[in-house]
Amino acid sequence: MKLLLVEDHAELASNIISYLAKAGYVCEWCNNYQNAINKLSGFEYDIIMLDLMLPDGDGLDILKFVKQQSADTGVLILSAKNALDDKIKGLDLGADDYLPKPFHLSELNARLKAIYRRRHLGGAHDIIFNEISLNTDTMEVKVNDEYLDLTRKEYEMLLYMIVNKSRLLTKQSIAEHLWGDYMDSVDSFDFVYQHIKNLRKKIVQAGGRDYIQTMYGSGYKFNPNI
Amino acid sequence: MKLIFKITLLYLLISLVVFLIGGLITHQIIMREVVFEEQRFLKERLDFAIRMIERRKLHKPFERDKIKIIPLGTRAKETEIAFSDTVVMHSTLQRMEPHNKLDVVKKVGDQYYKVTLYDLIVEEDDVAEGVNEALIKVYLLLLVVVLILSWVASVFLLKPFNFTLEHIKNFSLRKNDHIKYKKSSTREFDKLNKFVEEMTEKIQTDYQSLKEFTENASHEMQTPLSIANGKLELLMESDNLTDEQVALIVSAQGSVQRLSRMGKALSLLTKIENKEFESTEEIDLNKLLSKLLFDFKELAGLKSIKIETEIQENVKVKIDNTLAAIMVTNLIQNAIRHNYEEGWVKVVLSAKSLSISNTGAALKSDPGLLFERFRKDNQSKESIGLGLSIVKKICEVSSFDITYQHQDESHKIEIIF
Repeated sequence: MKLLLVEDHAELASNIISYLAKAGYVCEWCNNYQNAINKLSGFEYDIIMLDLMLPDGDGLDILKFVKQQSADTGVLILSAKNALDDKIKGLDLGADDYLPKPFHLSELNARLKAIYRRRHLGGAHDIIFNEISLNTDTMEVKVNDEYLDLTRKEYEMLLYMIVNKSRLLTKQSIAEHLWGDYMDSVDSFDFVYQHIKNLRKKIVQAGGRDYIQTMYGSGYKFNPNI
Repeated sequence: MKLIFKITLLYLLISLVVFLIGGLITHQIIMREVVFEEQRFLKERLDFAIRMIERRKLHKPFERDKIKIIPLGTRAKETEIAFSDTVVMHSTLQRMEPHNKLDVVKKVGDQYYKVTLYDLIVEEDDVAEGVNEALIKVYLLLLVVVLILSWVASVFLLKPFNFTLEHIKNFSLRKNDHIKYKKSSTREFDKLNKFVEEMTEKIQTDYQSLKEFTENASHEMQTPLSIANGKLELLMESDNLTDEQVALIVSAQGSVQRLSRMGKALSLLTKIENKEFESTEEIDLNKLLSKLLFDFKELAGLKSIKIETEIQENVKVKIDNTLAAIMVTNLIQNAIRHNYEEGWVKVVLSAKSLSISNTGAALKSDPGLLFERFRKDNQSKESIGLGLSIVKKICEVSSFDITYQHQDESHKIEIIF
């Protein structure tokens, strides 16, 4: 997966680039509007991560440019401008997703993968991990070809963990992924714990291996090497 | 009381004193002149009398109305003219009247004569009466004139002032325009207008920059927080971390995220305060409520909280769409968060009000401060203490009333549309 990051903030960009490099992506970076247009004129990218506030132009104009150039390119808007207007405008112009700052890098990873699946793998696609397979279209999960009865949140949690496998996911990041805006309201850590507990039980009961590890009491890791 | 009437009253009061003193002075001057004239008149008559004595060569006493001449012979002594007051029978009025009297001994030829002349005095009472009457009439005239003048002044002279006053009254920070300078031919008002323009311009720019500052501050805060959060995540990816190190990183991350949420909540509060959500449309509150309750069902379920609802259909309320969602979300969140395991939440929506009740520990702090910023009853880690302040602000800008009632362990927040 080849990515372009348009972000004027060097520190923020370096965080994202190092994280994505570890995940094995090729990620290029440009820090202003002009560079972004230049790069986009010359090269093809799978997904563009786009900050809307740039020193020399509006990120939304880049979005329009991308949509004219190559309709296949996915666009993920990253913005601290958490205004509903921007979100709607961006999505109207053809952006695939909108991620308000600040975000968890694992959340970014999950969103990128989701866009990639939708755009390049024809949407309806099974994510298969050993004996577990997820259908992202129907949201059905099979373990050893046997359907697993998961709640919506359990499904989302499993997908999030498989996408971010081998990574320590904090309870905070999981809670934010599952509940988004409502997250600060709830005593979410207990809820995460309960969901994880149920999910593990269901997978193990269906004959799957217990990939989910509790790490240091602060988070969980989907460990493929168990 | 209007300024112009105060000035008028004061003016009338002062002129009353002036009139009183003026009356006394006028009275005295008139009296002096009258006395002087009376004496001059008597002296003139004395000359006539002497001429008469010369002509008639008077030898016996002569007495007529207001004149008395007594020959004193050849041995006597001339005296100075002496004036005195006396009471004499008035011939026509036939009663005693006060008179002026002139006494003198004069030598005419060889003879000495004692001449006494009388003249009717102008009484002091009459003068005083006249002066009083005149002054009272003048004073009444002055009163009428001054009242007319004050009316004219308040209508015409004070017009620019009232105009400026009206503008100041209608001045609002949110309208984002200052009061324009308007030239006035009255120097004071001209100065005032200039000052008002400068002042409102300054207030406007100060307010604007303050507004921008609060908005920008919470916005700009998000980037460094995002960076810090990212670094912590990267740090967590590194190998061979000990349990303590991971715990420290997670705790630091928690704080960074809390700060970020706080920034967002504060910026939301500022935006509501700045009335940036002006679009007041009619929204279906029942639909919104049902949707949000559905979203919260799972969260409530995890805590085994029972949600009862009594939602009336077709409740239309005038409120901004975004604000309505934030308000209802915050209220339901609160009801779930401050609840017991296996407690209950009751949501009642009618055409007049929305009430959300829930079980939960009794408040330890003053219920009156419930809606204040950063007011937290239990220092719950997740809560940032701005939720209810936001709800209150939303109610304020949407002109709703909000009340809080509690009874032992049940709490009820009601919003009256």
